[in-house]
Amino acid sequence: MSIAPVQEEVTSAHADEALDVPWITLVWNDPVNLMSYVTFVFQSYFGYSPTTAQKLMLDVHHKGRAVVSTGPREKMEIDTEALQGYGLWATFQKDL
Amino acid sequence: MACGRPSRKTSEVAKGFTRRGRGAALRYAARLDEHERELLVTLFGQVRDLIAPVGSDAPPPASAAPSKPTGTVESDDPFDAIVAGLGSDFGAAEMTSAPDELGGRGFGAQERDSAIDRLFPAANRTDEAAAREFRRLTEDSLRARKIAGLDAATAALRGSADDRLELPHEVALTFLVALTDVRLVLGDRLGLREDADAQRLQDLAELADPGDPAAYAVMVYDFLTWLQETLATSMLRRA
Repeated sequence: MSIAPVQEEVTSAHADEALDVPWITLVWNDPVNLMSYVTFVFQSYFGYSPTTAQKLMLDVHHKGRAVVSTGPREKMEIDTEALQGYGLWATFQKDL
Repeated sequence: MACGRPSRKTSEVAKGFTRRGRGAALRYAARLDEHERELLVTLFGQVRDLIAPVGSDAPPPASAAPSKPTGTVESDDPFDAIVAGLGSDFGAAEMTSAPDELGGRGFGAQERDSAIDRLFPAANRTDEAAAREFRRLTEDSLRARKIAGLDAATAALRGSADDRLELPHEVALTFLVALTDVRLVLGDRLGLREDADAQRLQDLAELADPGDPAAYAVMVYDFLTWLQETLATSMLRRA
């Protein structure tokens, strides 16, 4: 009979990252982009459900901005670049 | 954000996009007359030329392509004025928003064309060095992707032999983004900085002389808004 292997310690770099404050991707309101289009982008790029995509779009519209994704910095940069490619006004930053 | 307004068709022929078929046969179909198709080709080309960095390795501008059909508008076309910098005297003064936290476009906004700054905004509002680094790493490829998309949208228009435009899903997506890029540039030229500006622009356009190039630009902007709304709506998944 064998003993289950001891779980390896997570490497220190990852541990630091996990303890770190998460990063966010923000989308800011603008007067040109259509509500239908912004909703479509949230569905299409993130794969968000119609309900989630619509809620995020309305948050951008009414509150001026919304956090559309959260995670490690590298992923937030990828999301920001993709959303800017769609013409949305996207930025990333450390979650404060 | 903007709501698609009711039909602002510029011809009797025009019909917005609808979804046809499913699976591999899925198409997004619209009807646009020759003038409307040529208008879109012209605008896609102008925005492409705006985005292509001077002296870059980007392919030559679409407007210089030898495949340009006869009848294409030449440099005296009123649309040249649109992308070149129209709008400075049309409502822009009344619409200048105070640069506040939400309205400001972040670092570097004063250094270059405001439309380029809108297409490629500073990507970090809390860390200027991070924004600069992001721009250094991403802007060339973002520009290249937009140029390729505008060229593909132009090819789709040139590929339609008659008023019917039928786009498979991937091409429709490219077309949708190309419409966004043109509307962002036009919106910038028309002084759209916040939601309230859109209504003010409408009011000004209705008071303006119909021959006023700026009023014409608003009409073009409305046409693009209408067309994009029909395409975006037909591509949305419903709850």
